[in-house]
Amino acid sequence: MKPAVEVRKLAYRYGRSPVLQDLSFAIGSGAFFIILGPNGSGKTTLMKILAGHLRPQRGNVFILGKNIRGYSRRQLACRMAYLPQLTRLDFPMSVRDLVLMGRSPHLGMLGLETEEDHRLAENAMRYTNVLPLADRRMDQLSGGEQQRVLIARAICQQPQIVLLDEPTAALDLAHQVAVMDLMERLKQEKNITVVMISHDVNLAAMYADRLLLLKDGGILGIGPPCEVLHHQRLEKAYGCPVLVTESPLGGYLRITPVPRRFRKQAPGAPPADP
Amino acid sequence: MSLGRPVIVRRMLLLSIPLLVVLLAAVYLGMSIGSTGVDLRAVARSLAGGLSDDPTLGTIIWQIRFPRALLAALIGATLSLGGLVFQAILRNPLAEPYILGISGGAAIGAISGILLGLSRFPGVSLTSFAGSMATLLVLMLIAGTRSMVQNNRLLLSGVMVNAFCGAVIMFLISITQDSRLHNIIFWMMGDLSLADMHQVTILGITVLPCFLFIFYLAHAMNVLLLGQEMAQSMGFDVRIIVSLLLVVTSLMVSATVSHCGLVGFVGLVIPHLFRLLLGADHRLLVPACLLGGGAYMVLCDILARTLPSHGEMPAGVVTALIGAPLFIYLLKRTER
Amino acid sequence: MRKYSPAGHIFLLSLCLSWLLWPALLGARQVVDQLGRRMQIADHPERVIALAPSITEIIFSLHQEHRLVGVTLFSDYPPAARKLPKVGSYVQLDIEKIVSLKPDLCIGIRDGNPIALVRRLESLGIPVYAVNPTDLERVMETVDEIGSLLDSQEQAQRLTAAMHARVQAVKARIAASRSRPRVFFQIGISPIVSAGTHTFINELIQLSGGVNIAAGPVNYPRYTEEEVIRLKPDIIIITSMARGVRFESVKARWLRWKSIPAVRNGRIHLVDSNLVDRPSPRLVDGLEAMARIIHPELFGNPP
Repeated sequence: MKPAVEVRKLAYRYGRSPVLQDLSFAIGSGAFFIILGPNGSGKTTLMKILAGHLRPQRGNVFILGKNIRGYSRRQLACRMAYLPQLTRLDFPMSVRDLVLMGRSPHLGMLGLETEEDHRLAENAMRYTNVLPLADRRMDQLSGGEQQRVLIARAICQQPQIVLLDEPTAALDLAHQVAVMDLMERLKQEKNITVVMISHDVNLAAMYADRLLLLKDGGILGIGPPCEVLHHQRLEKAYGCPVLVTESPLGGYLRITPVPRRFRKQAPGAPPADP
Repeated sequence: MSLGRPVIVRRMLLLSIPLLVVLLAAVYLGMSIGSTGVDLRAVARSLAGGLSDDPTLGTIIWQIRFPRALLAALIGATLSLGGLVFQAILRNPLAEPYILGISGGAAIGAISGILLGLSRFPGVSLTSFAGSMATLLVLMLIAGTRSMVQNNRLLLSGVMVNAFCGAVIMFLISITQDSRLHNIIFWMMGDLSLADMHQVTILGITVLPCFLFIFYLAHAMNVLLLGQEMAQSMGFDVRIIVSLLLVVTSLMVSATVSHCGLVGFVGLVIPHLFRLLLGADHRLLVPACLLGGGAYMVLCDILARTLPSHGEMPAGVVTALIGAPLFIYLLKRTER
Repeated sequence: MRKYSPAGHIFLLSLCLSWLLWPALLGARQVVDQLGRRMQIADHPERVIALAPSITEIIFSLHQEHRLVGVTLFSDYPPAARKLPKVGSYVQLDIEKIVSLKPDLCIGIRDGNPIALVRRLESLGIPVYAVNPTDLERVMETVDEIGSLLDSQEQAQRLTAAMHARVQAVKARIAASRSRPRVFFQIGISPIVSAGTHTFINELIQLSGGVNIAAGPVNYPRYTEEEVIRLKPDIIIITSMARGVRFESVKARWLRWKSIPAVRNGRIHLVDSNLVDRPSPRLVDGLEAMARIIHPELFGNPP
């Protein structure tokens, strides 16, 4: 089966500085794929290219087997939904209207929604548990609620791939887990390929099928979490000592960054096992 | 599985039909009220079968008041719509139709025409139109087409262009010392007194296609609110849409200003008013601004003609005197 | 064979000529106004609207006020004019009011009435006769023309003859004297504005034997106080044009500068602006007032 997303020898630079260097990888259909890396590693640039926002300067990107350049914007929008990094969306638009906007790629220029579209929107809101908020205005919601509304909108697009750029960055614990659970459900129940950038290594470890660890625009590691999350690789990526152990929940790795007071003379050597 | 009737179309009709009635009523009132009296029944008779017993009144109603009411409606519709579009594409609630240098350029063009001794129509209106299109061109060169979507740059460039034009205008006014000064000031305050059917028809033909075009892009304006990235990811080519909207709206506003001068305030407040009442869906706001803005301007023009005991007030004065308190009142009422 | 019939030709000819006489048969005539525009107006206009205060004055001075149905704002002379219906100001005419008064003739003035408004009136079927009096001679011609428009050639002739005589009288006495005092005529207070060559004021100053310091191509040139002090006028004349500003306070401002001859010799005077800038018969009154100010030794002291 063709991979959902395939990247071949992708390179990109802003002006003189190279941001992505000769990247090649593939994302399988229905996978939960999480991209990790420190700031400046090129994660967001990569995602913008995958979303069709930036044109690859060298190399190729294939979405669902077809070169991304061969898609019109609308065609791409019918297959792929994108949630960029956002702070807040505060304006007097109702939740329902915003979710309905997700139907745009499937409608004409005037965007005249039918009863069917309204039904789909309701389902999406129910799925993300924002239906009780349907008639509230966006500027009245909390960050977590806004995020779930935006995900509902993405679901309305009926995509096969969902791209999310640090969706949990500004959320509290409960909402972080809620969003990740939602993505997992989407993957399992609707077979949607989820491609996410995350800053939270532990969440990534618990949910991802495959991880991509980026540093300075190059791949430091790619594969299932157990393969990628070695402390040397992580230290090389993030530049700080970490401790990799097993999660109390069992079956997952847990990464603990090490504060200064715990570090021995030789930085980088792991302390004795607790 | 039936597709069902579009829900939004129903809402648009429920909104537009009453507003259209209000607009027609306002025009009727505009035809009935004038400096020589109130003739409600005469207008009705004239519409029904003709006013054969009083041809002078017929002339007054159809050749003086009717074109003026139509012109007011067109002005109100255009400026309100212009404000709505600029507020959407610049994503700034303080945006209004003159903000991108249109008023400055149009005024310089008009003043030049007046100083050259050209007649109001077509001479001064052509120079005014040329002036505003020239500033738009300059603005687009300064701001660059890339930053059409980096909204603050466009906005700031527009404000600077307007400020520069303002200085030039002050200078031109200060060196004019004869009766042309009078003409200049009237133009700058907004002047509907020269309306005739010929002029109104030309303006109508120019702006009606713009109305339709903007309505066609109403849904796109909704999606633009989400920001360039999300709008693009939903299939909209933001740069092209914003450029087209910018050019068409500027054209529409320039055409209007070149006919009647700088009527202020309508373009800022009417979109906000309807947004308070109807929400942010532009498919509703576009018809609302067109019809509601038109009706508002017709009513304000009636007041401008009848309130003073001699002569008339500039149209822009009435729109501000009435609009500002009304807006503040609505703002307080919808505060939750 | 057709019989040659002169009667036929005469008939055709008279048919053609009658077409020319057609307006006369209707009680209408063709005239050309002072801007060279041709128009058709009634032989005996009964409903006339004056589109400027000076026109109102002229019509009253011809005793044709019974034909007047409307005047503009500020038509304040003679006082009877104030009672007539108003049709807006002469720069912003109320078209609706004018149409409702059903005039058969409007008389307008080039320097003031916007041409767009004039055209609008004409497009509604109302003839507008435009005058353009730029100096005393033309004012008298205008009086004559309006006289012929309104069936009052006799009154017009008497009036212009009288005006002419008074002007000649002033000119004759001035010719006898050699002195030509330098006059600064102030029509604007803040900023200080004077009158250039192509104004009535300039003509009156010259005719009354003075020299207009502000003569030049600019019609209403601006001056700073400093410039006026440098120019050392012999006489300063101030008009009452700026409403609400008292003559005394303006005079007091000049009295600070003792270096000005006009100040030293106490020759600062006030003149009613309506006498010197309205193109009406009262311009001659203005001329006589100015003559008394500029040459009191020839005409008697000014009031």
